[in-house]
Order: sequence, then structure tokens, then C-alpha cells
Amino acid sequence: MVNEHPVPPFLEWWQAATLHWLLIVGGLALLLTLGGLLVVTLERGPGAAFSKLAGLLLSGAKDLLLLSPRRVWALTWLAVKESIRRRVVVAFAVFVVVLLFAGWFLDPSSHHPGRLYMDVVLSATSYLVLLLALFLSALSLPNDIRNRTLHTVVTKPVRPSEIVLGRMIGFTIVGTVLLGVMCLLSYGFVVRGLSHSHTIDAADVTRLEKAAAIMHEGKLDAQTVRDKKDGDSVIYSRPKLDLQTTRDQGHRHRFQVDPNLATRSRTIHLDEEAGHTHDLSYTIRRSTDASGKAVAKLDYTLGPPRGALVARVPIYGKLMFRDRSGIDAERGINTGDEWTYRSFIQGGTQAAAIWTFDLDPRQFPREVPVEMNIGVFRTYKGNIEKGVLGSLAVRNPKNGLTVEVEIFESMEFAVKKVALPRKIVNYSSKQFIARKTPTPRGMVISPPPGQFDPALLKKTEFDLFRDLSDNGRFEVWLRCLEPAQYFGAAQPDLYIRAGDASFELNFVKAYLGIWMQMVLMIAFGVMFSTFLSGPVALTATLGALVGGLFNDFMTQLAHHQVVGGGPTEALVRILKQQNVVTELDPGLGTTVVKVLLDKPAELFLRLMSSILPSFGDFGYAGFVAYGYNVDLNMLAVHLVTTFSFLVPLFIAGYFFLKTREIAR
Amino acid sequence: MQPDTVIETRSLSKVYRDFWGRQKVRALKALDLEIRRGEIFGLLGPNGSGKTTTMKLLLGLLFPTSGQALVFGNDATEVTKNERIGYLPEESYLYRFLNAEETLDFYGKLFNMPAEVRRQRVGKLIEMVGLSGAKRRQLKEYSKGMTRRIGLAQALINDPELVLLDEPTSGLDPIGTRDMKDLILNLKKQGKTVVMCSHLLADVQDVCDRIGILYQGELKELGRVDSLLKVRDETDIRATGLSPAAVEEVQQVIVKHGGTVKFVGNPTTTLEDLFLHIIAQSEARPGRRVRGGAGDGQ
Repeated sequence: MVNEHPVPPFLEWWQAATLHWLLIVGGLALLLTLGGLLVVTLERGPGAAFSKLAGLLLSGAKDLLLLSPRRVWALTWLAVKESIRRRVVVAFAVFVVVLLFAGWFLDPSSHHPGRLYMDVVLSATSYLVLLLALFLSALSLPNDIRNRTLHTVVTKPVRPSEIVLGRMIGFTIVGTVLLGVMCLLSYGFVVRGLSHSHTIDAADVTRLEKAAAIMHEGKLDAQTVRDKKDGDSVIYSRPKLDLQTTRDQGHRHRFQVDPNLATRSRTIHLDEEAGHTHDLSYTIRRSTDASGKAVAKLDYTLGPPRGALVARVPIYGKLMFRDRSGIDAERGINTGDEWTYRSFIQGGTQAAAIWTFDLDPRQFPREVPVEMNIGVFRTYKGNIEKGVLGSLAVRNPKNGLTVEVEIFESMEFAVKKVALPRKIVNYSSKQFIARKTPTPRGMVISPPPGQFDPALLKKTEFDLFRDLSDNGRFEVWLRCLEPAQYFGAAQPDLYIRAGDASFELNFVKAYLGIWMQMVLMIAFGVMFSTFLSGPVALTATLGALVGGLFNDFMTQLAHHQVVGGGPTEALVRILKQQNVVTELDPGLGTTVVKVLLDKPAELFLRLMSSILPSFGDFGYAGFVAYGYNVDLNMLAVHLVTTFSFLVPLFIAGYFFLKTREIAR
Repeated sequence: MQPDTVIETRSLSKVYRDFWGRQKVRALKALDLEIRRGEIFGLLGPNGSGKTTTMKLLLGLLFPTSGQALVFGNDATEVTKNERIGYLPEESYLYRFLNAEETLDFYGKLFNMPAEVRRQRVGKLIEMVGLSGAKRRQLKEYSKGMTRRIGLAQALINDPELVLLDEPTSGLDPIGTRDMKDLILNLKKQGKTVVMCSHLLADVQDVCDRIGILYQGELKELGRVDSLLKVRDETDIRATGLSPAAVEEVQQVIVKHGGTVKFVGNPTTTLEDLFLHIIAQSEARPGRRVRGGAGDGQ
């Protein structure tokens, strides 16, 4: 799964974030205060302006601190009532209709039906709930002001802060209840849509029963059964029958059954298909019929799909690259893609992508499950049916011992699973590799030359943690083996699957993400509606949402990370049909465009990208649909971010409402 | 400011401006006003004379362009003054999706009243304004008169010391008007201060102690109703049981003393009195057409 914005650990994040928050909120507050002072000074002179400011700050502190819970609750209740009157249920009805008919158009036989179903319900929910939040929050206060119903409210001892807070809480309650119900319905829809069962293909059942009957007579046994000693345990290697299930929901599963061992009741997993497997429990009863002929009868039950709805808990490593000449680099090669998420390594050279992990050996007593999803870039087509060959090696960062554990064919667009056993006996090569890192003081080689112990290479069996890691820290090296082909990697592309979290909880987390978006939307809507008329407040809130969604792009524009220059320069290029890489002709026009127009635009963009929340980051649909756990660290960072927006929005809303005339 | 002054304005002015800050209307020009505890004060004036603007300035719904509006000695924009104020807006701007009980309960909560007090007060007020039969109906189903009544009830939910009524009798039928006027007088009896504005002169005359007349934002007249309306060089004599000869004799006496007789005849009643009388009669004896009026000697 693509994760372009990994969230930093909360404890590292909060200090810098708090500072940034204080800077932005303080700066904006100062700006607004100075603006207000200027306006009042022009109208009534500086004395009046300062006394007004002092009065405002004093009453502001009182109004914000001395909130009456009963009044806030009364206004909250009013907002809830109003929402119900304004037919919130319509949004809900639309959602139900979407669910009813989505079933017709969603193809359960698609490659990943789980992703499809979850994408549909999560996007339907978020669009509907966000639209609803937008309309409720941005139109409520302006309506009350226009209908003058607010006159009877503000002439009671109600503080403007209570009006703003009551509205924010009220609409949040409505949205939360709605989201809760939608979450339940969606869960039912996804589970029901994906649930299916198979039966074993009728011809295969006959085949199996025949084989079992023959074995019962002892005809096959003598020729095929071979016992192999392996330590204390005996592994039976017998001719297994390849069987398959019927095709249901567009796929069938394959599996193998040993006809001879089938007499005892057993349970096996079918081969994974369409992102899931099933449990098969079976027994074969053997008997002799009236004529003395051996007969066998297969009894089996095939369970529901397993593994379609998962929440994998990944442990991510730190990614570094090694270039084709074997020197460490921050990034690999750019193969010409504008999207620089993945960096590429060249096949058949010393180039590698290196992930460093830090694990606790106690957590992985038997094996370390690695999953990867790597990009492939072909410079020649080759055999397009076949994947590009690559290898995976484990290296001890302390002594440089490297053991190549797996050679594989890349599976594009699919997760490849490799289990690194604790005891490594099967490997394709073992060698010593030193890493060369360029630093300002020259090349640092680790481990330093001459420090490698050649005895290490004599071993034939390696323990993953004892031999190949330095106190739990080890490196996983990905290399492309075919010359002139490339592998692309980003940090989240290779991870260790530490286990699975509850899918249900993960599903709820996706709704928590939508909830955060909704709460932010409501806060923006209510804040804008304290000083703008209905349609304008609506547009402004929508603007905040769209701006927030394009926050990354704005940041990149403001920091010159987008080719083609600022907004005006881009416009000039469009009009002159000039491409984005050639410089504009130097001259007065270009200077005006670049300095007079684009510099202020840049400042504005920088400010906006700081003020607006990145709504997109709160959408966890990708995580949940692709089966990755939304970790608590990310949730904590996002929840704190949400609340850090709510407080200034509430205070701003209060001051706007306080300083405006309710009547006209 | 004297201790029993409830409202005081000092050269209160309001200029409405457009979006660009250009002056549109001078709605109120340097109003100086003082209203004492326990009086019923009426603001009179044609449409657009600044009555409602004054009211809104006193409530803090508008901010003065210059001058000051003080209510209970505090600035009118101060929220705490609202604890002691009841306000009935020109039209009852209430939430139409609530019913009478919910409405009053909601406003009660805004006064931070505990549930028990609220329940008692809501019941009493619904009874008082005569909406017991309709207390569970949503306000959007109410007639204009009923809306007015529930509006009045919400203005009195906190048992206010000062009641501001904007066109209290507008939209009411004559009985409703009478009830409203009785109620205003009743409030005065309880020692409350009432400020009302209206362009229905008869209503103001009936209940107000003092009036101010506004025209184009300026205060044109201010004083006690009885003294303002008194025609000092005319005398009104009313009597019953006089024969035409006796009337003739009285006229001669007047002429003898150098006076001029301007009118002799039977006084007419007001239409309001006639209407109320007919309704009262109809209720006493249903089914019969009532003849005559209040002045027919009964």
C-alpha cells in the first residue's frame, strides 16, 4: 500500500507541532488584533480603540471561561432538533439507497473484492457526511440571523461563546450518530457482500474417493510411500491429489489431499485466491461393499472466507539505498516518473535497497514474516508473462555477514510474502559485505577492512538473531538480479508483519477518520457562519475543504518544488503554450510575474497551507481497504491535530459573533 | 444616574452604513432618554422613525455609532443585563419546529433555571397566555395571535424587571389587544418597568404613563401622556339623566360666564369598546344577536 505521509512518532512530533501551532495561532491573532485596532482607530481615534480592545479581551476571557453547561446543552439540543427538522434523515436514506444498489454494480469476482466494497462504503459515507456537515454548519447561524430567531436568543443571558460551542457540539452529535449507524450498516454490507462458500468440484470428489478406495486395497501403497527421517519427526511424502473447488464469486481455490491419510478427520487451508482462503475439514470413510469391493466416501465442510478482512500490523524499517557502484545513497535512481514516491535500483549491479529493522527476538520465536510490494520498471519487455528476478538477503550490520535467503520472481501489484526462519539452513549464498558511506570526512567503511572474521562464513546454519543481527537490529537487502531491469522501493514497501489486529476495530478507525474530517468541517462551517451570510459561509467552508485536500500541493508550490513556477508563471506558460522546464525569457515582464505577482502568491499559499488542515491525511480508507492496521500513533497525532484546530476555530467564531451586530 | 433609573441613553446615535462603509441612513440622532423604575414608557412614531432601532440598541442587538445606551447602569452590550430583561420582538421570532412547552423550556434553560423551577414557570406562563390547549403543537401551526402569546410568555420566563415590547398589539384581534393591554397594566402593578413601541396610538394612550415621539430619528416630544394630551383651555362636562331643557340651561350658564359652547350631544363610544361589549354579551347569552352598544344606556 502506498503511504506517502508516514506519521512521525507522537513523542517526537508534539513539541515541534506545538511550537508551529503557537506560531501560527499567535501570528493570526496578532494580525486580526492589529487590523481591528487600525479600523477602530481610523473611526474613533487610538484611545477608544485601545479601551475597546481591552474591554473585548476582558469580556472575551470571561465569556470563554465562564460557560454555563446548561445553556450550552440547551443550544446543543436546539442544534440537534434543528438538524432533524432539516431532514438529516434524507442523507441517511441516500446512503441506504447507495448500499442497496451498490450491490448490483460491484463485481465480487474482481481481483480484490474486499478493497472494492470497502472503498465504496467508505467513500459514500465520507461524501455524504461531509456534505451534510457542510450544509448544517454553514447555514444554521445565518438562517437564524435572517429569520431573527437569534434575536430572542441573544437577548437572554447567553454568551456568544455558548452559541458557537452549542452549535459545534450539536452538529457533531448529529453527525456522530449518523456515522455510527452508517458504520454498522457498512460493516454488514461488506461482510455480507464478501461472504460466500464453495463446494468441491464433483469430478474431483469422485477422483478422491476412487483413489482412497484403491489405497484401501493396498494397491498404491507399496509403490509410492516413502518415509524420510528428519530429526525425530517422520514426514510422509505421498502422492497428493490436486483438487479444486467450484467457481463461486468468480474464483476457485486449489488444494491438495493425501487420499491415504484422509481417514482421520483433518482441517487444511485452501490455496489463497482473491485475497482469502477457506478452512476445509474432511474425513474419508472407507468400507467394503456387499461384493467385497473397497469403497470410500468423502465427508467435508468448507468454512467461510478467511483473511479477506484483515488488519495487518506492520513494523516498518528505515530505508537506505546502495548505488550501482556499491556506495550508500539516500535515494536510488529516478526512472523518469514524475511521482517520486519510489526510488529505483538497477538490476545486475551492486545496487540494493536496504531496510534496517530493530526487532525484539522474543516477539518472533519461530520466524520473521516479511511482506513486500515492490515496483518494477522494465527497460525491455522480455517475457512479460514472467516476473523479474530478485533476491532478498539478510545482513548483520555489525560484522557484515550477509546470507541470501530467497530468490524470487517479482509479483507486480501483489503482496509477496517471505518467511525468514529463525534457523536458516536453506540459502543461496553467504558472503561478507561492507557498506561504504560517503561523509564530509571521507568514505566510511563499515565494518572497517580487516575486521571480518572468516570463520563466520564456514558455518552452514545461521540463527537469524544470534548470527545475523546486532542485538535485534538487522538489514534486509533487496536486489534486482536481471541486468537493465529495475526494482522500485519506498520505505513502506517492505515490512515485517508483526501480527494482525482486529479488523472490526480497524473498520471503526476508518470511521473515526471520517469523524475527524466531519468535526473539522463543522468547526470551519460554524466559524465562517458567525460573520458571513449563508451561501458565502458555505462557499468558504467548501474552500477550506478543497484547500485542505490540496494542502500538499500548496506547500510544494510555495517551496518551489513544482516545476513550472508559481500560479501567475503557470498561467503565462499556458497562455504562451510554453513547456514547464524552459525558463521564461528574462525581461521586465518575467520579473513582474516572478517577483511582484508570484512572491506574494507564494506567501499566501504558505500561510494557507499552514492554516488549513490536510483533510486527506484523515482518510484511512486506503489502510482499511488494503488490510493494514491504523496504528494508535497515527490516530493520536491526527486526533491531537484535529483538536488543535477546534480550539482556535471556536475562539475565532466567538470573537466574530461577539463583535458583529446581530440585527440589521 | 439616579438610583431608580432603569434605562438611560446619552446622545445615542445610529447610522446605518453599506458594505463599503458609506452612510445609508441616519436612523437615530442624539437620543437622550431616561426611563424610571415602575413606569410604562411608550415610543411612538411612524414607520422608519427609529423606534425599533432604539429598542435594538437598548438590547445590544445593534452597536451605537456614537453615544451610549445604559440599561441598569451597564452598557447595553453587556450580556448579564439580560438576566433582568424580557423582550418581545416585533414578530415573534421563535423556532417554529418547537412546541410551546419546548420553547419556554429552552428559553428557561438559557436563564440557567433549574429543571424544577422551569417546569413550574412554564406551566404557569402557558396558563397565563391561554395556550394550555395548544402547548404540544409545533409553533408553525400557530395562528398569529397564538404566536404573539407564546412570544409574550417567553419574554416573561425569567420574571423580568424590565420588559421591552416591540409592537405588542400588532396582529392581535381586539380581544387579544385588550388582554395584552391588561397584561401590561398588570406588569406595572407588579412594579415592573415596561418600554413599548408602537404606531397604534390608541394602544399607547391607553396604557403608557410617559411617551416619546420619534420622527426621522429625532425625539420630537417627551412627557406624561395625561399632561401631553390635556387641552388646557377646554372643559369637558359629562352628565347623565339630563332633560333637553336642562341641557339648554347649562349652555346658557356657559355663555353667561363668557365661554363658548363647542359641542353638545351624545358621546360616541369607541369601536373597540363596542366590539368588546358585543363579544361579552354574546358569551353571556349565546345564540342571540346583540343589539345596541356600550352607550345604549345599559
